[in-house]
Amino acid sequence: MRTLFSFALPIFFFSAIGFSSTAATKPFPYPIEQHKMANGLNVVTVKFDSPGIASFFLVVRVGSRNEVEDGVTGFAHFFEHMMFRGTEKYNKDQYNDALKAIGASANANTSLDRTIYHMTGNAKKLEKMFELESDRFQNLHYPIHDFKTEAGAVKGEYTKNIASPFAQLEENIANTAFDSHTYKHTTMGFLKDIIDMPNQYEYSLKFFDRFYRPEYTTLLVVGDVTPDQVNKLAEKYFGKWQHGNYEAAIPVEPEQKQIRYTHLQEGSIPPYISLNYKGPGFDAKGMESPALDILNTILFSQNSQLYKKLVLDEQKVRSINGGLYDTRDPNLISIDASIVKKSDMQYVKDEVVKAIDAVKENGVDEKMLAETKSRLKYSFAMGIDSPSSIANILSNIIQLSGDPEAINTIYENYEKVTVEDIKAAAKKYFTPERLTVGTISADAEGGVK
Amino acid sequence: MKTLLLGIFLLGSLLAQEVVELKLPNTNKVTIKLMFKNGSICDPAGKEGLTYLTSALITQGGTGSLSYADIQNKIYPWAAGYGSSVDKEVSIFTFEVHQDFLNDFYPILKGLILHPSFAQNDFDRVKRNQQNYVDQVIRASSDEEYSKKALEDFLFRGTKYQHMVQGKSESVKAITLDDVKEQFKNFFTKNNLMIGIAGNYPKEFLSTLEKDMQELPDAKPLIPATIKSEMPKGINVEIIQKDNAFGSAIFAGFPMNLTRRDDDFAALMVANSYLGEHRKSYGKLYQKLRETRSMNYGDYSYIEWYDNGGRNMLQPAGTPRNTNYFSFWIRPVQIAKQLKNQYKELEDIKIGHAHYAIRLAVREIDNLVKHGMTKKDFEATRTFLQSYINLYIQTPSSRLGYLMDSKFYGKKDYVNEMQKQLAKLTLANVNKAIKKYWQSENMCITIVTDKSEAEPLAASLKENLPSPMSYSNIVKAGLPKDVLVEDDAVAAFKLNVAKVKIINSADTFK
Repeated sequence: MRTLFSFALPIFFFSAIGFSSTAATKPFPYPIEQHKMANGLNVVTVKFDSPGIASFFLVVRVGSRNEVEDGVTGFAHFFEHMMFRGTEKYNKDQYNDALKAIGASANANTSLDRTIYHMTGNAKKLEKMFELESDRFQNLHYPIHDFKTEAGAVKGEYTKNIASPFAQLEENIANTAFDSHTYKHTTMGFLKDIIDMPNQYEYSLKFFDRFYRPEYTTLLVVGDVTPDQVNKLAEKYFGKWQHGNYEAAIPVEPEQKQIRYTHLQEGSIPPYISLNYKGPGFDAKGMESPALDILNTILFSQNSQLYKKLVLDEQKVRSINGGLYDTRDPNLISIDASIVKKSDMQYVKDEVVKAIDAVKENGVDEKMLAETKSRLKYSFAMGIDSPSSIANILSNIIQLSGDPEAINTIYENYEKVTVEDIKAAAKKYFTPERLTVGTISADAEGGVK
Repeated sequence: MKTLLLGIFLLGSLLAQEVVELKLPNTNKVTIKLMFKNGSICDPAGKEGLTYLTSALITQGGTGSLSYADIQNKIYPWAAGYGSSVDKEVSIFTFEVHQDFLNDFYPILKGLILHPSFAQNDFDRVKRNQQNYVDQVIRASSDEEYSKKALEDFLFRGTKYQHMVQGKSESVKAITLDDVKEQFKNFFTKNNLMIGIAGNYPKEFLSTLEKDMQELPDAKPLIPATIKSEMPKGINVEIIQKDNAFGSAIFAGFPMNLTRRDDDFAALMVANSYLGEHRKSYGKLYQKLRETRSMNYGDYSYIEWYDNGGRNMLQPAGTPRNTNYFSFWIRPVQIAKQLKNQYKELEDIKIGHAHYAIRLAVREIDNLVKHGMTKKDFEATRTFLQSYINLYIQTPSSRLGYLMDSKFYGKKDYVNEMQKQLAKLTLANVNKAIKKYWQSENMCITIVTDKSEAEPLAASLKENLPSPMSYSNIVKAGLPKDVLVEDDAVAAFKLNVAKVKIINSADTFK
């Protein structure tokens, strides 16, 4: 449920053929058509050469970040489940039948900052997709019993996830690293709140009223469609959707003053260490996030000096990776390593810190910087090969900035990152006071300083 | 994606290898897949996991002239990628590179496949990770994946299909670097290779690739004959108990003599989609267990291997098999220990929801065998599949993968042919296929659960005790009467249980 942009994020690319010259001068090679409706709903269309196939996404900028009240952690995710429970026009069985008739791959998922409802399927059935989605976004109506029942599915999801020690550690790290901000809980929420979900029917009505509004939502269609067609359907089906007026007051996280620790005693998997530095929130125009993305790629990819030393030569580490959680508010830069012997945990932490300190002191090699930019660029170029991959990429940008065009700014900024930008970001964010150390081993304590 | 219109060429090559070519002039990427018909069934006894280790060492090692680190250095700015996957009957190497670097990348591909370095330090590293997977990761990281792998171990016990492709704890320990070299020589040959290529590449590139692959070993690989697994007698259950499991993860199945080669496959695909389409809310199992009864995160059924169902939403290519089985997947349900903690009204229960869930699933299969699908459900499910299966092949890589799998099954283009089969299918075809291939009396079931749940669950299953669904009051209060009536029938549904065994997690996969 988290996105590590350093590895997943697309980068710009010029070599696709057959696009207009205007588009080709921008990092993202396809024209992004936007139409802002009077009620605040932003409609985004990207025409893509995928005969007969289209992806239809609704990105709602509500996630576990918005869960500011006590006792309702995990509610954004739970609410995503409730969106499949029918309306007055289509009860849940009729909704299922209608969805099945479209023959699409349709689902939804929730993260820290957003909830995405997506369908990829037959472009000829686009109007039916509009009809079904507009109906549930405006007229959701579920019986109270269905609400209580669906809570069991959420508990089931928690049950299957928490079987993994890594999921348990992730939960502990968030809870330890944050004091006030809602990133303190994972998107699943705290178990006690999940168990209490069936009692929160009234709150669910409030939740829908607050967040399922046009100003929180972007409608995105990618594939064998035209902007004109999409905009007309949007006006027809979403034109009467009412603007809301709620804004959650997200608590600001106080500055962390000293290193924190959390440990999971679990001997069934190899020893594991996770170093989590408080990083910046997303800022499309700033240079800190792109500098950190590039730095993390240089430091922790399979081409890095650290990987060569710890994984290939010394063979003390099974795997290592690192990246910045790209979220609207400041979140963690996580570096994770699976270790062969637990006696090496301190050594591995020291080696990571040493590599970071070297960057603070000396910056990074210019050639490596150029090669990393090239890597990001080509990685993106090869990744945009279907309507759903493009829709997913743009959804990430929309969740962060609200504006899909920010994808261009971000990738232009990658190209501009300098050695000094990287040094400055490393000095600012990789400090011991900002660190939370998470560990897993068979011992009662983590034992890493 | 323009690509889809551009035609497919299944070449009868002048050279020995089979070639599948997918020309995509509008893409910037070239995808190359090399499929060796070997797979884990070619592992020698006592060295299970050898084919996997050989493939992994090829992609995580060097070439005659470049170390693994050298290769990573070279391909880093290109963002080129490659990897291997091994299933029961094939190993596939996939290479993806931007067309700008195709010629720079090719010597690396060639070196890895023709002249893998098989260096001792790479072997130590790769083997250590594989050892860790079979010793720890499979048992500790996902109970549902664990129960799925344990089901194959149970269903195919005593055959070449039994072991995980990664092998077993003792067998991986026994593998030496010489074993790897020998396996490479005998099973990664020019005589069991299928080449696949997709993208915008020059014609000469493919000619060179085909010609170079002639340099692979020329051994005639001794591939074991198709595995025949015995239908279990009655319902046989293995309960794997571990410390601190949060729920009961369930997989069940029985052998089925049907693959994509067969005409009945389309008919059973419709039946299966109706019963339990993967990660969809349309299946009966999902609707009854999750949607109506609030029991877990999802419930699905399968008529062929579905790789990594926890992550993949659409059936991935690359696991063609001649031996097949039907299965159903019940994602973790609650155990008594947790339910007692969570709901005061359940403080006296002896077992959690696993027995009830299994009964419900088997009863649904039984109903389907006895009564078949209705015309309405048949039409709705067929219509769904006619659109849905096109989504399997959205990317160049998945399109190429499906074409290569098609060739494995002696077909040209499975998705395309499936469309034709679906179009001419009748309800009678489907209901006949259900009766022919499905039944509810004989199967293997694996349950990964907590130690506290294992004994009472085993007793309940063995003695066919009634297993009333234990709802929390808040859910129970609103349940419609027909659900409660059905609950009574499910709770008393007789399972043809033959044997129930409890196994410690440490003793699985031996």
